[in-house]
Amino acid sequence: MWRWGGAIAALLVIQSIVLAGLFWLLATGSHQREAERGFAQDCRELAHLAPAMRSAELREMLAHDIHRDRFLALFAHDGRLIDGNVAHLPEGTSLTGSFLATVEPTELPGKDSDVARLRLCGMPDGTLLLTGLDLDDAEEALRTVERSLILGLIPGLLLAIGFGLVAGRRAATQVDAVRGLTERIVAGDLEGRLPVGDRPDSFGLLCAHMNAMLDRIQSLVVDVRGVGDDIAHQLRTPLTRLRARLERGLREADDIDSFQTTADVALEEIDQLLGIVAALLRIRELGDHARRSRFAPVDLAKLAEDACELHRPTAEDRGIDLTCLIEAVEPVEGDASLLVEAMSNLIDNAMKFGPPRGRVTLSLAREGASAVVTVADDGPGVPRAERSLVTQRFYRGRHDCEGAGLGLSLVKAIADLHGFTLRFAEQGSAVSLVGPNSKD
Amino acid sequence: MTHILLIEDDAGTANEIALELAGHGYAVTHRILVSEGLAVARGDAVDLLILDRQLPDGEGLDVIERLRAEGRRTPALVLSALGSLDDRVRGLRAGGDDYLAKPFALVELVARVQALLRRPNETRDTRLIAGPLDLDLLAGTATRAGRALDLLPRELKLLDYLVRRPGRIVTRSMLLQDVWGYTFEPNSNVVDVHLGRLRRKVDANGEPQLIRNVRGRGYVFDPSV
Repeated sequence: MWRWGGAIAALLVIQSIVLAGLFWLLATGSHQREAERGFAQDCRELAHLAPAMRSAELREMLAHDIHRDRFLALFAHDGRLIDGNVAHLPEGTSLTGSFLATVEPTELPGKDSDVARLRLCGMPDGTLLLTGLDLDDAEEALRTVERSLILGLIPGLLLAIGFGLVAGRRAATQVDAVRGLTERIVAGDLEGRLPVGDRPDSFGLLCAHMNAMLDRIQSLVVDVRGVGDDIAHQLRTPLTRLRARLERGLREADDIDSFQTTADVALEEIDQLLGIVAALLRIRELGDHARRSRFAPVDLAKLAEDACELHRPTAEDRGIDLTCLIEAVEPVEGDASLLVEAMSNLIDNAMKFGPPRGRVTLSLAREGASAVVTVADDGPGVPRAERSLVTQRFYRGRHDCEGAGLGLSLVKAIADLHGFTLRFAEQGSAVSLVGPNSKD
Repeated sequence: MTHILLIEDDAGTANEIALELAGHGYAVTHRILVSEGLAVARGDAVDLLILDRQLPDGEGLDVIERLRAEGRRTPALVLSALGSLDDRVRGLRAGGDDYLAKPFALVELVARVQALLRRPNETRDTRLIAGPLDLDLLAGTATRAGRALDLLPRELKLLDYLVRRPGRIVTRSMLLQDVWGYTFEPNSNVVDVHLGRLRRKVDANGEPQLIRNVRGRGYVFDPSV
């Protein structure tokens, strides 16, 4: 993790140096351009004047140079000084562009040579104008810039290194926290969570996600343990009963018919037990969401009609008025058999837990962009306190009815697989499967 | 005699299956390994394969795939202790003709075997006559010895399904699958209630029973009584 800190520091250092360098280059460049603009102006202005006026104008300009950093001199064609503050033309001058050269000032006391940026231009009458700027002042200014850049750079570098160290240390701490947690999990302790601040940064958000994942894993593990215990417990009771029944049946049976009855009853109970095992396996399978690959568009209206039709004779036999109110809805992606099974389970529950000879209604309707299947009976429905429990495996709200307490677990598993929500009405017994929003 | 090849590695299960099938008049050859099973299946005398998915030397479905690749169309019933949802599809896709999840009732197995060995009477006739029964599918009516049976559309479909499979066991999961078109095991006896109503209409007033209940979970239509 220190490498990260180092990399960040190095990046910041490079950035400051590049910035300073750029600034330096731009500053020197702009100084030169400004000087050249001044020279060009001098050449233009003096060239326009009559030769007689030039000396006077030149003198005027020198008089205005209160910084005494200008060089201005007019030379005759043969190099003789006509007027100005430079003793003679420097060596190797040309008429193109500005150049650096040493000049001999005539009006600076105690100074007989000076480095200057200069330009030489020809006047219309053949004389030559030398215009220039003492570099001492300019260099002084540039040195100031340089000094301030270096002065700025040093704290910048220190800051960069400091920041790098802090960031590196922070990253190292964060990674250590995650590593510590994963070690605990590997060791079998699922209780640990990562710290998340009040206003989490992106790492904090990641930690929050990992915590959510751990919550889910933990609840699954608890589920699995619970189911293992549940299955053992749930199967032991009927197996004990079955065993007792067989034992007594064999002891008391004295003819073929009573043996037969004993065996028939036993077979029926075994089938029920196998049914429980099969239902558990199916709930588990539905949970892993592998069946979605077989989804196809299905018409809920047809499925609802079929579910009703399937249960109608049973309802009539029990004196229950089974009513189906079916609206046309958009097709949903799903597995027809599973959806009918879910509806069949809901109807079954309503007929079993509703009042005897009452009314059971299955309705299919649109709610916004969702299809909703609702099954209701005349009874009070699932008590509010039990609603979160009834979808748990083996939870049985009432023990006066047969059944293993897997029906709603299965319905919930099927709903989850299809992205449907299982919803209990605020009042009464209505249980709904609320489809996903078809416009999404 | 109809010859069935059973490839199953659990001796107890294999024994029960073999005895049950023998009781229904089938000759059963039992093998344990994929390799042995393939050798027997390549002999031409096999009418039906019953095979387990997980065998000691490989995957039962391989047997079917190999036989299908060799052009053999011997019908195959796949048994599996694996889950019943996606495995069913995988089994059928591999060339199996039917699929039964363990644990299953023996009557279910026999019914499936019978269904695979004898294709139903797929006549497209809209008039079916079997013993005293006369079904007019176009008009949606049925009579028994001239007595009109007041059948609901679903009841007529159920009777149609039974009449096309005389003498064979038909289970409620087969009915739900083939008549309603859904594959699941209802947690109450809703299908049996439909059958019960149909039977009361068909076999009324002490007439001989054309539709018999088979112990466990099946029905047989027998027009010869």
